[in-house]
Amino acid sequence: MNETISQVALNHYLLAGALLFALGLIGFVARRNLIVIFLCTEMMFQGIVVSMVAFSRYHMNFDGQVFVIFVLTIAAAEAAMALGLVVLLFRRKQTLDADAWSSMKG
Amino acid sequence: MEIAFYIASVIGAIAVYLMMPASGPKPKKLGALLGLATGGGLFAYLLSQTPADVRPDLYFYVFALLAVGSALRVITHPRPVYSALYFVMVVLASSGLFLVLEAEFMAFAMIIIYAGAILVTYLFVIMLATLPQAEGEEEQAPEYDRVAREPLGAVAVGFALLAVLCHVIFSGGLNGQTPKEVVKTNPASPPIVFAVETVPGRIIDTLVERELLTAEAAADGAGLKMRVEGEGESAIIKATWGESGAALIALTPELKETLEGKIGNIDRVGSALFEGHTLGIELAGIILLLSMVGAVVIGRKTVYTEPESREPDLEYMHKDEPLSDVSVGEQPAG
Repeated sequence: MNETISQVALNHYLLAGALLFALGLIGFVARRNLIVIFLCTEMMFQGIVVSMVAFSRYHMNFDGQVFVIFVLTIAAAEAAMALGLVVLLFRRKQTLDADAWSSMKG
Repeated sequence: MEIAFYIASVIGAIAVYLMMPASGPKPKKLGALLGLATGGGLFAYLLSQTPADVRPDLYFYVFALLAVGSALRVITHPRPVYSALYFVMVVLASSGLFLVLEAEFMAFAMIIIYAGAILVTYLFVIMLATLPQAEGEEEQAPEYDRVAREPLGAVAVGFALLAVLCHVIFSGGLNGQTPKEVVKTNPASPPIVFAVETVPGRIIDTLVERELLTAEAAADGAGLKMRVEGEGESAIIKATWGESGAALIALTPELKETLEGKIGNIDRVGSALFEGHTLGIELAGIILLLSMVGAVVIGRKTVYTEPESREPDLEYMHKDEPLSDVSVGEQPAG
């Protein structure tokens, strides 16, 4: 419990976190379904969380894990709001296509 | 070592591009195989490159592969329900990573909050916001799910970012040392001495138990905040609250072990949370309250269905009469 992980192991965890973040970014840009877009932001959160817990373990500083708790809070709040909005948008146009709202570009 | 990451990024980008949903026929199976081979090859390469003494636990590789594979399916599956279920897999796999990192509280909080609460909300919304399908079209997902938007650009951006991150992580951008040099100069990272001061309550209990501190002194300092200063043979227990005074006790390895053995991950996270981030807790409470209020306000709104056509239809837009009013049910907040 009191041993830190090595720098090499930390790098491996950071790579896993970076992979999750990059895949989430790709999904965010490429998908057109509003719900899947929000799902991809949650996946980017996951990548960050993996990195933060690994850093927390590497430095034995538990503030990293405290931040994960805050990330969870924000994710829950964001999910509640965003999904409410998604349902509202769906009721208006009967579609979840993000392109259907491209007239908002101005 | 670095060139391997660039090659893996390029092959991975091709694989993800092939797996992206598209209108025309695309060799998706080939893309999946390629992606699997790239991911497996990358982690096998990492495994072979690191000496056994600094290597992360073997389960790391299992969970990391599982997480990345499920993440691929989240962004490429044409049906949102399956995307959400694969995202549950991502959450479970990263909880496994946290268990390997001995962050048990985080692992279980992740499963309970993410997989248990947030994802269920997502599933509810997916089911609410799915169009009824016509007869004989059950197998046909809507067009916006079947065709990705700008998959080539997205994949290029994502994997360029990944290549840069790999460069920063593995070329020594973090501390100016490549992993191999670190292994040479720093075979075992120096164990960081655990700051005993973080859980005063446990220290007091243990000290009373071992008769190093009288029960009166402990009771006297209700809300007593103790600090253990110094390392090695002895330590000064300092009281910063109450009048029980400072006491010098010997911090034998045995006592240290007792103190540390009693303090688990959740104790440390809890004390870090409540000792250093009280303002953050208050703000988190406000944010949750605001989002709950916001979700209720959004959910109670009456909305008018607009015509399905993409182009703004002037005739409909100037109509005062709503086509139908549907009120949306309340969303669970958080």
